[in-house]
Amino acid sequence: MSGFLEIALLLSAPLLLAAAGELVLERAGSIQIGAEGNMLIGAFAAFAAGLGTGSSAAALAAGLAGGLAGGAAFAVVAVAGRADPILVGTAWNLVAFGGTAFGYRLLAGATGAVLEVPRLHAGALGLPPAVWAVFALPLLVHVGLRTTRPGLRLVAAGEHPEALRALGLSVVAVRTGAALFSGAAAGLAGALLVVTVSPTFVEGMTAGRGFLALALVVFARWKPLRLLPASLLIGAAGALQVRLQASGGTSVPYAFFVALPALLALLALAVTPGRGGAPKALGAPAP
Amino acid sequence: MTVVSRPRVLFAAAIAASTLVLLAVLVLVAGASPGEALAALVGGSVGSGAALGETLTRATSLVLCAAGAVLALRAGVLNIGLDGQFLMGAAAAAAVGPLLDGTPNAARLALLLAAAAAGAVFAAPAVWLSERRGVPPVLSTILLNLVAAAAVTWLVRGPLQDRAADYPQSRPLSTSVRLRPLAPGVRTTAAFPVALLLAAGSGVFLSRTKAGLKLRAAGASPAAARAIGLADAPLRAGALLGSAAFAGLAGGLEVAAVTGRLFDPFGSGVGYLGIAAALLGGTGAGGATAAALFFAALGAGSSALQRDTGVPAAVAMIVPGLLVLGVLLVRRRLSGDEA
Amino acid sequence: MAENLARLDSSAPFLELPAARRSRVRRLAESFTLDLGEPDARVAGLPVGTRQRIEIAGALAADPGILILDEPTAVLSPDETASLFASLRRRADSGKAVVLITHRLTEVFETADRLTLLARGRTVKECRVADTTAEEIGSLLLGSAERHEHASQGGLRPPTAADRGRSAVLDASAIVPSGTSAPPTSFSLAEGELLVLLAIDGNGADTLARCVAGMHPFSGRIEVSGRSLPNSGDPRAFRAAGGRFVPADRRAEGLVASLSLAENLALPTPPGRLFLDGAAMARLAGERLRQHGIRAESPSSPAATLSGGNQQKLVLARELDDRLGPPRLMVAVHPTRGLDLSAAAAVRDRIEEARRAGTAVLVASSDPEEARLLGGTLEVVYRGALSGPLSPETPLPALGRRMAGLAS
Repeated sequence: MSGFLEIALLLSAPLLLAAAGELVLERAGSIQIGAEGNMLIGAFAAFAAGLGTGSSAAALAAGLAGGLAGGAAFAVVAVAGRADPILVGTAWNLVAFGGTAFGYRLLAGATGAVLEVPRLHAGALGLPPAVWAVFALPLLVHVGLRTTRPGLRLVAAGEHPEALRALGLSVVAVRTGAALFSGAAAGLAGALLVVTVSPTFVEGMTAGRGFLALALVVFARWKPLRLLPASLLIGAAGALQVRLQASGGTSVPYAFFVALPALLALLALAVTPGRGGAPKALGAPAP
Repeated sequence: MTVVSRPRVLFAAAIAASTLVLLAVLVLVAGASPGEALAALVGGSVGSGAALGETLTRATSLVLCAAGAVLALRAGVLNIGLDGQFLMGAAAAAAVGPLLDGTPNAARLALLLAAAAAGAVFAAPAVWLSERRGVPPVLSTILLNLVAAAAVTWLVRGPLQDRAADYPQSRPLSTSVRLRPLAPGVRTTAAFPVALLLAAGSGVFLSRTKAGLKLRAAGASPAAARAIGLADAPLRAGALLGSAAFAGLAGGLEVAAVTGRLFDPFGSGVGYLGIAAALLGGTGAGGATAAALFFAALGAGSSALQRDTGVPAAVAMIVPGLLVLGVLLVRRRLSGDEA
Repeated sequence: MAENLARLDSSAPFLELPAARRSRVRRLAESFTLDLGEPDARVAGLPVGTRQRIEIAGALAADPGILILDEPTAVLSPDETASLFASLRRRADSGKAVVLITHRLTEVFETADRLTLLARGRTVKECRVADTTAEEIGSLLLGSAERHEHASQGGLRPPTAADRGRSAVLDASAIVPSGTSAPPTSFSLAEGELLVLLAIDGNGADTLARCVAGMHPFSGRIEVSGRSLPNSGDPRAFRAAGGRFVPADRRAEGLVASLSLAENLALPTPPGRLFLDGAAMARLAGERLRQHGIRAESPSSPAATLSGGNQQKLVLARELDDRLGPPRLMVAVHPTRGLDLSAAAAVRDRIEEARRAGTAVLVASSDPEEARLLGGTLEVVYRGALSGPLSPETPLPALGRRMAGLAS
């Protein structure tokens, strides 16, 4: 497989994963701007596990676990505790940034030595199977939300939670499940970053990818299938940048590629009348 | 209003106690001694004239961002975009600053006004999207933050770049325009008292002016405000723009008083810390300012901490985040008690 | 629609492809003889009646042992009502329990086996339907009111012919509140006139009043003091035309609970130019608290600390404020609901004072006693339609029959 395509896919996968998780949570009516923090935690956990065990599989598992823990914390404070999810997410990002920087310094010492972590082995078709699995996610989410009963209930939790309440179901339970899923997805996404794209950890290495996932969800108008082309585009843009850099051209830092989708998302919001497809109960506390 | 009530004292004591506990845990994890750590923290924040100066310098932008967050929160709006608005204010100052030449005070005033205006203008799309398209401000301001970060990245490598420098940053402001330190050997400038004054002003605005009363009504009960005949949408829009101006001004002051130029990345998330301070301070101007000062002290002390004991300075971010999470878990309301 | 039904129905399969779901839903609708519309239609675009039917279908499909329906026939056509009750009857006959909450006496007497009558939160009667009549229940619905016949609160009089000659302060023509299927209604008020729209909750009296106050969008034309109000509902335009509004929910819409009494009284036009004139506010607060007999610890206590009666007095005090000119029209929804007798009397006195000073008053109420004591003209509202002017002297049982939809 050509280098360009490979890099593009590798760059898209973590983004798609985090965005899919965030989409599920937002469809359920909550919003986790701390996805960036969860990604960082996942990345750091993967880094630490990879260093310790030398196994990239362990790194992935650790990333998943770290993100899951983040999702659980969010569920406790923002869903069950009914605190404003944006505020919780803001505080969580602070904790995650600080916490991972703290942890990294302790692990790596004050020296600037770069510690490497084993990469995922490429399987068939030149990419690790884990990465391929990510691209199946949008379809799974799409089907899940529309055909399964839990999926329909999740959508109801985001559009009209009182209706779920009237049925005797717990909106908190639905949203907690969504929070755990989105946390795990973001954590795994961060882990993927470490074991595929860059084999080490750097403070703040996610560089806004978590926020970018939020932008992607808005840009996709909360429809899972649209996440796929959007994230592939960004992956391709990133691969283009790598190629330009390699050939000695200008090196545009990642922040740039984060802004473009954000701008497009804003434009999309401006152009659509109404709320642009956002779930009606987005951000409202569970009844 | 000047008497500090008993519940607030208890709350402050609880915060102080929690901070000590959290710090102790982190210090032990890092393998250092709590006693040494505490000494380094205190010494680095208030232990000497230089340390105090460091704290006050950091406090300037924090106090302003916290005051901006309070303004928005009391109107019932969540301005998550403070960080992006801060960056835009800094960018404006970095862009306009090197061009200014005239009398220092006039130049500084123009500079700071430009910075504040830049912050407000940057929030305008969010206001428009909210009023005309029903888009929740949280969504649009988060997206705008991403745009702001990218804008800074581009500016310091493009139009504003200082060709003479070895890594990307903007052209420096002339020393005549930059604010001067209040005392030798200290980084603190007149920026800090200005920030305090403005924060106090925002508090007075909220509690003593007609517009402030209407704003508080719209934030406390939008349904009642509407039924009573208040124009709640313009009030909220005004609050959002005002808070963005505060953040923009903070960015401008950071450039004019502290760094003299813009670089990438800039500010280390001061907008988000300001929001955290507002939440910790109970969304009143007084409490938010106190919390901002506290965070600034923590920040100043933590660099001494890292230097002397090896405990990473990142504690200055972890502790505020955890404190706010704790408060959110216990309090559960957007607008807390009045200051 | 199909998605909503699948969500509501706990007997639906866990995983279901859209095509299979569509046919299952069609079969369900047929079996209940309910017109649910197309399975792929978006519920948001469906009329209110259809949405209600979908909910009912969902409840029926789950085949529960006990089914509780709260006012299910509000938006059903007579045919649908008949077939709904036929299926409810079948359920009951097969041993499953059905509890129907309604105020439509015809439904009760045609379908139910037993009834329990609740009034003001208390059980008034419990018996088998066969042992009573519609007349008896109708008068029992309002019976407690007869025991509270106070001596008239002085000087209440219906408008005279002379009043009619004055120009209209309020002129509402062909109003249909948005989102309802009510027929167009029209009414008008002259200076000093009082009109009570009397209805059981849910029949549209408060909605009509809210449309006048600019709190609810409507189609048709509403003019206050000659100014036409926007159809989208604009409280500020209403106030600019001299209107004042006393809402039903004083805690959520009447007052800003966390602000102080003085601050609430000062809104929406506090004294002062840029800064609040604290002294003027304190004076105003003191005056109003005294004038209206509001008992409070201090003008700076939060409005939330007042009792219900005092809160309502506070709302009235603010609304009847004449610093910017006397109110020309006052709209009050359930003004004495939840108040003790003396607070209710005080509120009625304020309204009467305002009326005598020339303010036109529109009241929406569900309490015939309140309507009678307020005086003025009465119109009963049933399913959004007005009955035509009635005198306040109309006997209570007759009022009760009209309110319950029994023709008089």
